Amino acid sequence: MAFLRQAAWLLWKDLLLELRRRESLIAMFFFGALLLFIFNFALDVERAKATEMAPGLLWLAVVFCGTLGLMQLFQPERENHCLEALLIAPVDRAAIFVAKACFNLLLMALVEIVVFPLYWVLFSVTAWDRLPLVFLYGLLGTVGFSVLGTLFSALTLSARGREILLPLLILPLIIPIVLATIRGMDAILRNAELAESLPWLNMLIAFDVIFLTAGILVFDWVVET
Amino acid sequence: MHLQIRRLSKAYGTAWALRDIDLQLGSGECIALLGPNGAGKTTLIKTLAGLVRPTSGEILLDGVKHSGETARRIGIGILAPGDHLYDQLTAEENLKLFLALYGGDKRAPIGDALASAGLADWAHEYVGAFSSGMKCRLSIAKWRLLDPRLLLVDEPYGVLDGAGVKLLESYLSDVCRSGGLVVIATHDVGRAAALCSRAVILKRGRVVFDEAKHASWDSFFCAVGEFAPRGEAWPS
Repeated sequence: MAFLRQAAWLLWKDLLLELRRRESLIAMFFFGALLLFIFNFALDVERAKATEMAPGLLWLAVVFCGTLGLMQLFQPERENHCLEALLIAPVDRAAIFVAKACFNLLLMALVEIVVFPLYWVLFSVTAWDRLPLVFLYGLLGTVGFSVLGTLFSALTLSARGREILLPLLILPLIIPIVLATIRGMDAILRNAELAESLPWLNMLIAFDVIFLTAGILVFDWVVET
Repeated sequence: MHLQIRRLSKAYGTAWALRDIDLQLGSGECIALLGPNGAGKTTLIKTLAGLVRPTSGEILLDGVKHSGETARRIGIGILAPGDHLYDQLTAEENLKLFLALYGGDKRAPIGDALASAGLADWAHEYVGAFSSGMKCRLSIAKWRLLDPRLLLVDEPYGVLDGAGVKLLESYLSDVCRSGGLVVIATHDVGRAAALCSRAVILKRGRVVFDEAKHASWDSFFCAVGEFAPRGEAWPS
């Protein structure tokens, strides 16, 4: 209970700070929308092709927006040495990790809620009935991305050139998540049999659980280092 | 609470910040950590807080090897002016947050703590709008609420006005009286001599003087004169 209470307080703090700073969410929204507009202008595709390309283009936007969010994730803790304040407090370090990952997940989910339908509108995709399932896959992929991203965001906190280092570290590691999400979304959009998309769903859930467990276990070591 | 430091060393690359520190600190003590810039005061403070991992040696807290876990169990506070407060939270929100994280009583008198620090009118203002002295006062209010057993204070005097200094010294005296342990890293030798019961002087990471306060603290002032860099305004 103490763990959950602490994580909830830390999440409340992050949400309040974001509400007041408005640094991450607005930048992520605009970046995501801008990418889709650029894709729309650059790729002159017909409706059927646009549906086919949706998983890849959407995830490109999600990953770029997510990386932007991760750059700012520990910014409040960098100011005034607030991370030190959290580290000396009787707080389970896993609670710090879970709160940060949930916060990043929440920001990315909000961006996806806007960006996914925007793609449908811009590219005149008609399969609106499949959008909720596509969003579900996106969300599961985002869980893995947030968890792994939070870990590496903490790891590179005091590194020189972290803006370059962070994407270089994360992008190769999230390939399994990206792959499973895109394949799953693709199966949904093709209206394929459930049996075709289910293995990707299972794989995504497995990755999320593995990364979350690993993150909780090693975060203590990461912040100590 | 008993804190034992055994042959503690810390190196940053090839530069030694602390070398073979041996100290025993006990409940109720107020220790002045003195020394010129680069002596290792802040590194020792951060090592005691568990924020810096020593290169060699160990720290025992009540006989148990110091780790993040033991530090969190005992309750360690760092009072560093301007640090450890969120600028975009109000004074009251900062106190509420840390009170919750420390598992404090929800009904704790946050308003009283702010009032005692002279910040009653600033409770709902963002900390980012505070001066350094006001942030230091807020830190004092925070630790009054959280009641740590080991309080580490890093150069507090530079930002406080006269009333702020009185507030700080009264709080530190209260911590010692209630059986806590206070370590103050400072350059203000006069204030340290007046407040503390023991002085430790560091130079280039080594302890060069460690003595409890006597009726006359002549040897302390001799040591300060001897180890202070030439021309530095330490009393002789």
